[in-house]
Amino acid sequence: MTKVTAYTLCLALLLLVSSCKKEETNLMVDDEKYHLALPNNMPAWVDDVDNPLTKSGVALGRLLFYDKRLSGNNQLSCASCHQPQLAFSDGVALNDTGVSKQQLHRHTPTIFNLLWANSGLFWDGGSTNLESQAFGPLTSSDEMAQNLYELEAELKAVPKYRELFEKAFNNGITSANVVKALAQFQRTLISAGSRYDKFKRNEGITLSEMELQGLKLVEEKCKSCHQGELFTDNKFHNNGIDISFSDDVEGIYQGRFRVTFNPQDLGAFKTPTLRNIMLTAPYMHDGRFKTIDEVLGHYSSGIKPSATVDKHLFQNNGTLGIPLTTTEKVAIKAFLNTLTDQELINNKTVSDPNG
Amino acid sequence: MKKNILLLITAAIIFSSCDKKDDAITETLDIPGKVTVNFDAVFGTSDFALNTNFTSGTKTYNFDKFRYWVSNIVLIKANGEEVSVPKSCYLLEETSAVAVQEGAYTYPANKRESVELTNIAAGDYKGIKFGIGVEQKYNDNLSLTIGELSQLNGMTNVSWMWHTSYIFTAVGGKVTEGTTNKTIKVETGLNANYKTVSLSFPQNVKIGSSKATAINLKADVGMALDGIDVITTPTVGAAQATTMTAVANNYNTKVFSVVSVN
Repeated sequence: MTKVTAYTLCLALLLLVSSCKKEETNLMVDDEKYHLALPNNMPAWVDDVDNPLTKSGVALGRLLFYDKRLSGNNQLSCASCHQPQLAFSDGVALNDTGVSKQQLHRHTPTIFNLLWANSGLFWDGGSTNLESQAFGPLTSSDEMAQNLYELEAELKAVPKYRELFEKAFNNGITSANVVKALAQFQRTLISAGSRYDKFKRNEGITLSEMELQGLKLVEEKCKSCHQGELFTDNKFHNNGIDISFSDDVEGIYQGRFRVTFNPQDLGAFKTPTLRNIMLTAPYMHDGRFKTIDEVLGHYSSGIKPSATVDKHLFQNNGTLGIPLTTTEKVAIKAFLNTLTDQELINNKTVSDPNG
Repeated sequence: MKKNILLLITAAIIFSSCDKKDDAITETLDIPGKVTVNFDAVFGTSDFALNTNFTSGTKTYNFDKFRYWVSNIVLIKANGEEVSVPKSCYLLEETSAVAVQEGAYTYPANKRESVELTNIAAGDYKGIKFGIGVEQKYNDNLSLTIGELSQLNGMTNVSWMWHTSYIFTAVGGKVTEGTTNKTIKVETGLNANYKTVSLSFPQNVKIGSSKATAINLKADVGMALDGIDVITTPTVGAAQATTMTAVANNYNTKVFSVVSVN
């Protein structure tokens, strides 16, 4: 290389560096991207542009998820109500272990496979994304009752958090980054390791005659809402558990209507997934059905009529109900058991890092 | 020789810095200027104040809160060119202390009626546009921040957090009509209610480094409630969708007006 060429190169470099355009500060600091390994029977997904998955972001979210510092009384973590061994549900109809000890109005939902939940979080979809969702339980006096300023101060006192927040986000410990990290961690909670999944992927698992009959029945009678490999359409339906929908408590009994104010959405709640259903009793948005038998009983003979009841529930020669014989119910339950994902609930990479 | 030429070029590049200051030595008028936008709160013809009675028809109001987000400010040049103010998102308010998160902490009493915009391109301007509320991108994701936007100032209370949205505007206080007393809490929010206010100046105003420019607006609290029966609907929020849209429309077309520019 001649001197002149080298000099020209230097000049070019100088020109590049002294560019007039101020570069936008990158929100994501130089951190390794988190690679999400998804089994091939699961749908494709797109990373969040404003909060992409990073290794340190996910690791931070995991720490925070299990940390009781996140509650105002430092006695509750996210995992207090989203327990891994119950597929991240809590086993009770309406939780009353929040800071105020007041019973909640809605049943704790499961929180796996949420990276595909693109029509809103909560039973009525009121929260637009996981990031925004976290502020609800974090700040509600009946849940974690956390003062967000106090939370930042508490976390800043922990060296590990100072280090991880700096690594994951360019502006350190802020409540916005707390919810971003929690969202990243939650997007890694994937349930796709059940016996059903292994059967579908031809991984050497066979289903019994009874289980296969249950699968067929579910496909015939339940799949219009519990769709695809997620076993939910992530949409909102009135499944006929109530006749009227009072507007008490800021419309919380009105379901999706509270969000859209569309009369068609009155009493419509989000379709929960059937995955891990045998671990997540009780059922419905208020946990009113204690067992899966009660749920099947409701669909076969207990659906209540109302103006907005879902059209897919008219499976009894045009009238309401999904007729099921005793044998069919047994087969459906057998199949539902194959959706239990032991790999998820025993996954050491998403369990309490201090546990 | 070649080397000398290259050196010369290098020097030229280094000194032709991006900063406009060099050019401006000869053209002072082109230096961007500062603009203060005043949002003077009024109730009809009276200056607005907290804990003070204002009468409108048969109703007497006594307010403890008037707050709203102003965002995406755009100044309009005389030739129609639009100059956007980057990252403009401001909380304008006159409020008593606000209990945030159901009293977990308190946002202190505050009065803030003006916004200072810096580095505005020099020229003659004929009008201003601004949004009332928070634009969809930020309104849909409480973890994104811009300007003064924050979820820590009581403009996102818990009931609103269950439905991702900032409170765009809030008027609070009491109303008396005859023997009836009601506590009023009139709020707007939701993307459909994000409105852009467009105002023309009475005459063109110059912006540039040679003078400080002031755009004096008034914000009429009475007009925010125009046509709303606050005795029958003292609380306006997401559950009162139709009324909330009517209030948002008031902010869009009735609340703000230009007093003067200078």
